[in-house]
Amino acid sequence: MSRDRRQLLLMLTPYLVGLVVLVLLPAAATMAMAFTETDLIAGSRLVGWDNFVELTGDPAVRAAVGNSLSYLAVSVPLRLVLAVGLALLLHRRARAVGTARAAVLLPGAVPELAYGLLWLWLLNPIQGPVNQLLMLGGQGGRTMFGSLPPQWLTDPEDARAGIVLMSLFTIGETFVIVLTARLALPPEAYELAELEGAHAGQVLRRVTLPLLAPVLTVLVVRDTLLSLQASFVPTLVVTNGGPPPYATTYLSLVLYQDAFEYLRYGYAAAVAALMLALTAVAVLIQWRLLRRWASRGLVGGQARLPGN
Amino acid sequence: MKRTVALLSLLTMFTATAVTAGCGADADPAADTVSLLVAGTPDELAAYRTLAAEYEKASPGATVALIEASSAKDLMTRVSTSIAGNAAPDLFLINYRTFGQFATKGALAPMTARLAASGSLHDKDFYPQAMGAFRWRGEQMCLPQNISSLAVYYNRSLFTKYQVPEPVAGWHWNDMVAVAQALTRDANGRTVRAGEPETAGTPVAVHGLGITPELIRLAPLIWSNGGDIVDDPNAPTRLTLDTPQARQVLQDFLELPKIGVVPSDVEMETQDHEARFAAGKLAMFVSSRRVTTAFRAITGFEWDVAPLPQYQSPANILHSDAYCMTKASSHQDAAWRFLEYALSDPGAALMARTGRTVPSRTSVATSPAFLSPGTSPARSQIFLDTIPTLRAVPTISTWPEIEDATGKVLENAFFHGDPLDKVIADLDTATRAVFQRGTAAR
Repeated sequence: MSRDRRQLLLMLTPYLVGLVVLVLLPAAATMAMAFTETDLIAGSRLVGWDNFVELTGDPAVRAAVGNSLSYLAVSVPLRLVLAVGLALLLHRRARAVGTARAAVLLPGAVPELAYGLLWLWLLNPIQGPVNQLLMLGGQGGRTMFGSLPPQWLTDPEDARAGIVLMSLFTIGETFVIVLTARLALPPEAYELAELEGAHAGQVLRRVTLPLLAPVLTVLVVRDTLLSLQASFVPTLVVTNGGPPPYATTYLSLVLYQDAFEYLRYGYAAAVAALMLALTAVAVLIQWRLLRRWASRGLVGGQARLPGN
Repeated sequence: MKRTVALLSLLTMFTATAVTAGCGADADPAADTVSLLVAGTPDELAAYRTLAAEYEKASPGATVALIEASSAKDLMTRVSTSIAGNAAPDLFLINYRTFGQFATKGALAPMTARLAASGSLHDKDFYPQAMGAFRWRGEQMCLPQNISSLAVYYNRSLFTKYQVPEPVAGWHWNDMVAVAQALTRDANGRTVRAGEPETAGTPVAVHGLGITPELIRLAPLIWSNGGDIVDDPNAPTRLTLDTPQARQVLQDFLELPKIGVVPSDVEMETQDHEARFAAGKLAMFVSSRRVTTAFRAITGFEWDVAPLPQYQSPANILHSDAYCMTKASSHQDAAWRFLEYALSDPGAALMARTGRTVPSRTSVATSPAFLSPGTSPARSQIFLDTIPTLRAVPTISTWPEIEDATGKVLENAFFHGDPLDKVIADLDTATRAVFQRGTAAR
């Protein structure tokens, strides 16, 4: 082994040890636990596929799968569009741009629990500032359009929208990555586009997005991986899975309740396995779509600069 | 390379030292040290700290390591994970509705023999209703610290202002609803009917009644009407809310929003019952003794408690927490000595003075430490008068799941007016499999 490789391995060792001990082994133990009845009080009992069979008939799990997938389908694209839009808007040097960038980053720095409690107040149906704002110009407790303001915590659709709304302000990390990637794009590409007389829309579609595509691909996959867990704290703190029975019950909440409230660790492990499978399927679908688009030259390395 | 190796070695040494130091701190606790896991409000936790300090003062050499959980659910998690991690607390305090999970798994050390041999604690010192709730297959598994029940907290100033007679023992459910209607008022003091935001006319300033749609609120009313909530209290397999007695209670209960005396779900999300009552915006509130401590801070109006209304005969539901000793505890003798103090007259009186609990020890329950003359509620005696009518919910390992599942269905039905037959069918569907999975503890 060369000296460089030895050094590389040595530097990687702490991470690899951490990965194996803290992630891979517990994950393997969790997968094994999914085939047992475990409450951590008495001994475990092998139950074969029983937990997985029960999953198929559990109304909470059924609702949670639907909610989790719809959250994934709505939240991931919206978060990405917002982060890209803000990064492209704030990449130029301008007055107060630093403050604006800090403002985008800041919500992500607030501890999750405090962030959830803050939204519990913001979304309060009567006294909350969001609805107070929406009711400006309206009469008799209605909005200026004559409709009732959203019932964030008591109407199923509004509650789900509220959870997505909460996720849209924690895009700081994605924003920074897109901003950095945009700043690293070659200025020559834009000079060429200008010479060719491309207007802003064409520059965005034919230059910026294709060049950012590799970064955006990674971000989409990453956000998908995280989204099934990201809904946990907001639902635990703000809606507690309601309005009843399961309007904002996501898989992460079902897992938490089964494990830590009902002491059904084996069943909760089966829910974890389901989450892992769903995430893998979602990522696989995205990966195949992106590869297909890349082969057609729509994204990634085969994108061409204008004039080439 | 050498520098990297040196850095890694230093890191390893540092980690090893930290781990060793950590182990050393827990390795050899004193023989007379007792760990006690509790959950509660800041007032309660303060009372437990005082109890621990008083015990240490009274028993030189003894120490109590108090572990404070943020909530009852957090406490459950901590108990199970600490048992799994071979670091179980010696004692923990738990409600009888959730102790079944630990009793059925053999995680608790029985106390029957210790109680029989004790010179200071005796079976007859405690209310039998509370003792019975923690008995499993003939063994006394835990010793009750309190024995609460449901009562109607009412804003006496509002009753006086609107000249509505105060509730008396033996009042009927319909009497309570009529009083609630008489006390649901707008800002000008006119009686109004509360409703949904879409249909409500004049905004309601005071709602007549606050009651949460839960099985443990319905149960005493169903018992009072001659029905039951399960088919066999000793080995339940399903809910029995389809009997005529239970149906009548369920229907009356679910009609409260239509009658227009309770806050809507939107109003509830804005301000819960407890805060609403404390703000003077709720005339009556059905709750257990646990809200008393917070309500004693009310200065804007007078309040008191009334007995729970009834149907055919008086009935109420047991609310009780007990000290349980873990089987894995290596300090069981020391834990028992602490229990003997905590449940003695001075120990129980300390907790009673918080106002939150009704002492399980009869001598303290009937003493000024609990009845606290001159302090609200003036009618604390009603918590003692109702004890003979107390009933417990079944002790089954999956009871917490059953309460959660029924709570979801009932909340939906209460605020959105589902048909009665659908509600009963939904309750049965949501719980049938959970009953089957559970193990009856008695």
